[in-house]
Amino acid sequence: MQDTVDIMDDAEYEEEEPSFSDPEDFEDDIEDEEFLDDILREKPLEADGIDSVVVVDNVPQVGPERLEKLKNVIHKIFSKFGKITTEFYPDADGLTKGYIFLEYAAPTQALEAVKNADGYKLDKQHTFRVNLFTDFDKYMNISDEWETPEKQPFKDFGNMRHWIEDPDCRDQYSVIYEAGERTAIFSNDAKEPITAEERARWTETYVRWSPKGTYLATFHQRGIALWGGEKFKQIQRFSHQGVSLIDFSPCERYVVTFSPLMDTKEDPQAIIIWDILTGQKKRGFHCESSAHWPIFKWSHDGKFFARMTIDTLSIYETPSMGLLDKKSLKINGIKDFSWSPGDNIIAFWVPEDKDIPARVTLMQLPSRQEIRVRNLFNVVDCKLHWQRNGDYLCVKVDRTPKGTQGVVTNFEIFRMREKQVPVDVVEMKESIIAFAWEPNGSKFAVLHGETPRISVSFYHVKNNGKIDLQKMFDKQQANSIFWSPQGQFLVLAGLRSMNGALAFVDTSDCTMMNIAEHYMASDVEWDPTGRYVVTSVSWWSHKVDNAYWLWTFQGRLLQKNNKDRFCQLLWRPRPPTLLSVDQIKLIKKDLKKYSKIFEQKDRLSQSKASKELVDKRRAMMEEYRSYREKAQQTYQEQKSLRLELRGGVDTDELDSNVDDWEEETIEFFINEEIIPLGDL
Amino acid sequence: MKPILLQGHERSITQIKYNREGDLLFSVAKDPVRDTKNVLTGSADNSCRLWDCQTGKQLALLNTSSAVRTCGFDFSGNIIMFSTDKQMGYQCFLNFFDLRDPQQIDDNQPYLTIPCSEHKITSAVWGPLGEFVIAGHENGEINQFSAKSGEVLKKVKEHSRQINDIQTSVDLTMFITASKDNSAKLFDSASLDHIKTFKTERPVNSAAISPIMDHVVMGGGQEAMEVTTTSTRIGKFEARFFHAAYEEEFGRVKGHFGPINCVAFHPDGKSYSSGGEDGYTRIHYFDPQYFDFELEA
Repeated sequence: MQDTVDIMDDAEYEEEEPSFSDPEDFEDDIEDEEFLDDILREKPLEADGIDSVVVVDNVPQVGPERLEKLKNVIHKIFSKFGKITTEFYPDADGLTKGYIFLEYAAPTQALEAVKNADGYKLDKQHTFRVNLFTDFDKYMNISDEWETPEKQPFKDFGNMRHWIEDPDCRDQYSVIYEAGERTAIFSNDAKEPITAEERARWTETYVRWSPKGTYLATFHQRGIALWGGEKFKQIQRFSHQGVSLIDFSPCERYVVTFSPLMDTKEDPQAIIIWDILTGQKKRGFHCESSAHWPIFKWSHDGKFFARMTIDTLSIYETPSMGLLDKKSLKINGIKDFSWSPGDNIIAFWVPEDKDIPARVTLMQLPSRQEIRVRNLFNVVDCKLHWQRNGDYLCVKVDRTPKGTQGVVTNFEIFRMREKQVPVDVVEMKESIIAFAWEPNGSKFAVLHGETPRISVSFYHVKNNGKIDLQKMFDKQQANSIFWSPQGQFLVLAGLRSMNGALAFVDTSDCTMMNIAEHYMASDVEWDPTGRYVVTSVSWWSHKVDNAYWLWTFQGRLLQKNNKDRFCQLLWRPRPPTLLSVDQIKLIKKDLKKYSKIFEQKDRLSQSKASKELVDKRRAMMEEYRSYREKAQQTYQEQKSLRLELRGGVDTDELDSNVDDWEEETIEFFINEEIIPLGDL
Repeated sequence: MKPILLQGHERSITQIKYNREGDLLFSVAKDPVRDTKNVLTGSADNSCRLWDCQTGKQLALLNTSSAVRTCGFDFSGNIIMFSTDKQMGYQCFLNFFDLRDPQQIDDNQPYLTIPCSEHKITSAVWGPLGEFVIAGHENGEINQFSAKSGEVLKKVKEHSRQINDIQTSVDLTMFITASKDNSAKLFDSASLDHIKTFKTERPVNSAAISPIMDHVVMGGGQEAMEVTTTSTRIGKFEARFFHAAYEEEFGRVKGHFGPINCVAFHPDGKSYSSGGEDGYTRIHYFDPQYFDFELEA
């Protein structure tokens, strides 16, 4: 093996070793980033981790001897929300400054800390204030310059009450048909409906009118939309994924939407209350089940809304959307409640509890004063029925009297307008099928009994403290009561399984004005004026004969409107009248004068309609005749061809071929006349 | 009108036809024809048969590979056509036989066969002079097939669902189609122009044109399967009369217990008959008021 030889000493290597140094004035022009890019990328930035930092104020200022203890306490409190990775206790002049910085492992933990520890009372003098560090940044960086917010262009939707101004006072109604594919708005005319608007796929499921008729709400996967004005433009849109139910406040200021889909613990989204005019989301709530919609019940003036949960009645006020008096009412065992439609009074009932009897309570809001309590014994169930003006409350009480097995029903009638709210009891012998107050009067109708022996009874709540049974009709085919919104008249209907039997009643003297039938009717809807009734067979309940029929309030059938896969008809509500009570009295006095004018108008339009129809028919006949003439002509021209086809035999007329004829002479007796020939 | 009831069948009537003179009424599965000497019937027993009217003797038998849905004589009475259903792997065919050539019958060899691959023929009638056949299809289409070449001369699609029946006017210049889409329509035979539409809320099984008045009659109801969902009241299935020019309904005749499958006017226009799912055929003679009745115009 040869020894290694130092190359340098080797004479053969005489060339100069290449120099690897930079030239003398070489300036490095490559940036650091190019070389160290991957490492530099990991250089911590000042802003990193800021989202996980919280600032805690009102921390006790301590000296170094108590610092350790302070840190432990803080740690104990704040590590509940997450892992604290860094803490910083700035100090000055030997004491901690009174505020600290805590960094968590993740921004969500910081958020939790803010949410839960802000307002934490450590002791009498120290209540923590906890904020995200980034919030400080945000507020500090508000520009000193005031920028006027940009003016939104005024969206003119036109006259929102346009339909009320119809010169012939026609009410509108919405119709959904073609299984939901088409929605139309019609103006109701006794002769035939006049189309106001018709759109395909306007809604994905169904529609709802607002309580005063201003808006039409349609449902979509992403939320609801409100339409209104003369042309039904889109007024507002509310985004609530998967919305299935809605409810309006009576004043039309707010709308409540429910969706079974969206709900997270931090951000309640099942029920959302929106401000209709601004489109803002006002508040969100959790909701376990939508079984009894609407979950939130509104007071008649829209000032309050309330909901019931287990043992609790929560009453909120508008527009703050906060709890009235900042707390809910604890009412053990509360089963049901409802607002008076005329005053801010809530009625609720509580079942029996050991030896405390069941109770119905009337509570005034916002004072929360209990103005009436009624004890009830052996109660199985109660239902609250308010008369539409809030003049009366009927509590239907099902009881099992001591010592019996059966269930007996009483109606406890609360007279709201009388001092001390006296209560009268009406006992019912049979089971109740339906109950309904006259909307603006003091009568109520009850359907009772069991199929096939069902009866209807009419009661009048008199001022003298008595409740009279005015009349009872038996052998009725009915399971629902529909009062006219103006009172006095009602329709008894046997819907769905009772095949659509209808009875029109005038309750002023309890007479049956008309008995009729709309086979398989599923719904009955009065128009807001009480002049017309619509009965309908919805495709949602019966797959054939889908149509809606229009009747007068007396039960005279005016129209039968078949619509392919008709689903739903809803009358557009009217806003309350602007006339004073005196003005209305005056008009009623002069009614004769007005009715003359109306009758004349009706007669004119009738004859106009028949004239139109007659003209239309004439035109159709002309067209048809001219077509037939041409066809006849061609027929005649082809006669020779026909003769040929049938071997010369003319078969055009039944009697055209004489050979076919058989002549037969028949003699039959017509008359006998006896002519005396005189005496022979 | 007091109807005459005929019950000679045990099961549902699918077609009724008057003969030309009007003294015979045939109620049967398929289409007899204007020529009073012979009757042509087609059946789901995969055959088309020719009978002698007077003796009732079977004159000819044509076997087919699937059910015969519709059949008829042309104006001359010499050529017959029938359509077979799309069944058991066999397509729908429209077959033509010339009766003057006995060889065709004996060999069961039509002189012309038109295949109908897409939507089967559900009803068909001859054109006025025997040059074409007007066929209604399962999807609502109407085609004019030439009886000589087999090509499609004209086609229209005015109905959205199956055409259940086609009947011609007495002079063969127009025909009326009855469809499952709840309407009947009037067409011109030569041009296939759509002239009138008569709308109802139920599927129309059959329609006919009055020979003497501007009236049409329609019968229908529902699928036999769905009958229990309608009113169970007696006799609710009705024949409905429409004015042919105004397209307005002016009368209904109740009486059938089940959907009406076939209607036909007597050639003299003074009576009509209807056959139904309930197995009854009802003959109605019109009261004098029927002929005087006019819609205001």
